[in-house]
Amino acid sequence: MKVITTKGVVKIYNPDKIPVKALNGVDLEIEEGEFTAIVGPSGSGKTTLLNVIGGLDRPDEGDVEVGGHDIDAMSDNDLIDFRKQHIGFVFQAYNLIPVLTARENVEFVMLLQNRPKKERHERAEELLRAVGLDDKMDKRPSELSGGQQQRVAVARALAPKPDFILADEPTANLDSKSTANLLDIMARLNEEEKITFVFSTHDQRVIDRARRVVTLVDGKVATDEVRG
Amino acid sequence: MIQTMAWRNIWRSTTRSLVVIGAIAVGIWAALSLTGFATGMVKSYVNNAVQNIVSHIQVHQPDFLDENEVKYNIPDAGGVEQAIRAEPGVKAVSVRSVVKGMISSSQGARGVSIKGVEPEEEARVNALDENIVEGDYLSGEGRNPILVSDELAKKLNVKVRSKVVLNFQDRGGSITAAAFRVAGVFDTGNKPFDLSHVYVRRSDLNNLLSSAADSALAVGLLAHEIAIMVDDIRKVDTIASSLSAGLPGLEVQTYRQISPDLELYEGQIKNISLIYLTVIMLALVFGIINTMLMAVLERIKELGMLMAIGMNKLRVFLMIVLESVLLGLVAMPVGLLLGYITIDYVGKNGIDMSMYAKGLESFGMSSVIYFELAPIVYLQVAVGVFLTAVLASIYPALKAIRLKPVEALRTI
Ligand SMILES: Nc1ncnc2c1ncn2[C@@H]1O[C@H](COP(=O)(O)OP(=O)(O)OP(=O)(O)O)[C@@H](O)[C@H]1O
Ligand SMILES: [Mg+2]
Repeated sequence: MKVITTKGVVKIYNPDKIPVKALNGVDLEIEEGEFTAIVGPSGSGKTTLLNVIGGLDRPDEGDVEVGGHDIDAMSDNDLIDFRKQHIGFVFQAYNLIPVLTARENVEFVMLLQNRPKKERHERAEELLRAVGLDDKMDKRPSELSGGQQQRVAVARALAPKPDFILADEPTANLDSKSTANLLDIMARLNEEEKITFVFSTHDQRVIDRARRVVTLVDGKVATDEVRG
Repeated sequence: MIQTMAWRNIWRSTTRSLVVIGAIAVGIWAALSLTGFATGMVKSYVNNAVQNIVSHIQVHQPDFLDENEVKYNIPDAGGVEQAIRAEPGVKAVSVRSVVKGMISSSQGARGVSIKGVEPEEEARVNALDENIVEGDYLSGEGRNPILVSDELAKKLNVKVRSKVVLNFQDRGGSITAAAFRVAGVFDTGNKPFDLSHVYVRRSDLNNLLSSAADSALAVGLLAHEIAIMVDDIRKVDTIASSLSAGLPGLEVQTYRQISPDLELYEGQIKNISLIYLTVIMLALVFGIINTMLMAVLERIKELGMLMAIGMNKLRVFLMIVLESVLLGLVAMPVGLLLGYITIDYVGKNGIDMSMYAKGLESFGMSSVIYFELAPIVYLQVAVGVFLTAVLASIYPALKAIRLKPVEALRTI
C-alpha cells in the first residue's frame, strides 16, 4: 500500500529575489514499511523533501499525500497534530529540548498524546536502553555528546510508535559504532513495528543498509533503486 | 511537563529572570507602600478633622442648620442628652450652645462662630484641651474666659489675658456685647476653622443669650448642637441611624454628612490604590514584555522544533504565558511580604514627614503619618500582578506561535 506519494512537487525559495528551486518536480511513491534512503549531493533538496513530506514546509506546486491525507489541505495546527500522531522526526542537527532530561525528551511526544504515565516511562526506558543510554537517562542534552544526543532524538521519534519516521541525516555526527547501533535499532523497529522509514544520508554505511535508495540531483529524482 | 518546561525555562537566563522578578517585587512593594502612605494621610486628615472639629456625630434642630439662628435651639436638650448617652456605642457627648457673632479687640474685628461648651464634656469629645498652645483650657475659674486660636490671636493682636469683646444677637433679637478674657490659645491645624471659631463656657454664653422673656431654668438648658464620639468609627452609621430613629424632629449627621470633604477623601482611598496599581503595572508590563520577547527570540529554533514534533500552537502559547506568570508568581510573595513589613512597621512607628513637608499641618494633617492598608489591597495587587503577567506575555506568545517550524529550524 502506498503511504507517501509526491506528485510534481516544486519548492522555490526566495521567489522574489534570487529564486532557488530546491525541489523541481519530485515524483515519489513510498510503500508501507519501506526502509528508504534519500541520497544526493549537498543542496540537492533532501532536507526540503523530508520537510515537505512531514508538512513542515508547503510545496509551491504539486501534491503531497501522506497516510491518506492531503498535506496541502491541512492547516498549520492540523499539521502539528498530524505529526504528533503519525510522524517521528529526527533532524539534521540535534534538536532536543534543552531543559528536559533524556528520559523526559523521549517521553515528550507521548505526553503530548496524553499516553498514560506508566506506558511513557516503560517505553522511554526501553528505547533509551536500546540506544545504549541506560546510564544517561536523567542527563540533560548539554551533558551528552553529539552522538548520544542524536540517539536520544531517534528514541524520541520512535517512542510514540509513529507510522513514519522522517530522519534527516540521523548518523551525520555519529562514530561508526553508534551508527551501526542506531541502524540496528531502526531496522528492528522497521521490521517489528512496521514503521515506514525515510531518511536522508551521505553515509555509505547507511546507504548499504537501505532497501531502497532514491537519489536526488538538483531537486529531481535521478535514480530510484530497490534492492531485494 | 509543560509546567516543568516553563519553570526550567525561566531559569535558563537566571540573571535576566531575577531582574524582572526583582522589578515586579519592587513594583508590588511600591504599590502597597504608596497606597499605605496615601491611606495613612487620608486617615490622618479625617481623624484630625473628626477629633479636633467635627466629632463623629452631631445633632441639631434642622432649622438651625439652615438659618443658624439662636432661636432654633434643641428642645428639651437635657432629655435628648440622656437619650444619646443611653445609646450603646456612644463614648462621649458634648452639649453646646452656638451663636454667630463678632469678636473684636482694639486692633480689629472678625466674624466668628461662638461655641459655648461644658469644658469637661467638650474635652472628652474634642481634642481642644490638648490643642492649647498657650495659656489654659476653659477650666480656669475667672470670669468670662474665652479660647481663641493662634491664627485669630495674631489677626486681632491679642494674647493670653488680653480682653476681647463679643457681639451677637440674643434670643430676643437685641444686640448684646460682652467682654471676655483670653484664657488660652488653641491650634487645631486647620486654618480656616481656627480663624472662624472661638470657645467659651456654655453657662456664660447662655446667660448672655437669654432675653428678658426666658426663665432661668430654660436658660441653663439652652443648646443648639450636641457632638458625639462613638467607640468605633466603623459603627458611626449604625449608631447615627439608631439615634435618628429615637430623636424625631432632630437632624442627626455623621462626620461625612457634616463635612462632605471627609467623605470625598475617604472615598478616594479605593481609587488611590487602583491608580497606583495601574501606573506600576503599566510600567511592569513593558519590562515583562521585553523579557519574554527576548526569551522567545533566542529560542526560535527550539520553538520551531517543538512545533515540528507535535506541540500545537495552543500549548506553545500557554507555555510562554505560563513562563511569564511564573515570573510574577515568584515575585509576588517577595513583594507582598516586603510591602506587608513596610506597612506594618510604619503603621506602628509612623514616619515623620515634617522634614519633607513643612506645610502638612496647615492642611489639617499630622506630620507623623502612620501607614495603613485595607487587607483587600493585597489581594488587588496580587490579582493585578497576575493579570499583568498574563497580559504582558500575550504579544511574545503570539510571536512564538506565528513562527513557521521550518524557518525557525533553519535559523541558527
Ligand atoms: N530557507 C531557505 N531559503 C533559501 N534557500 C534555501 C532555504 N532552504 C534551502 N534552501 C536552498 O535549497 C536547496 C536545497 O536545500 P536542502 O537543505 O534541501 O539541501 P540538502 O540536500 O538537504 O543539502 P545538505 O546535504 O547540505 O543538507 C539548497 O540550494 C539550499 O541552499
Ligand atoms: Mg539537508
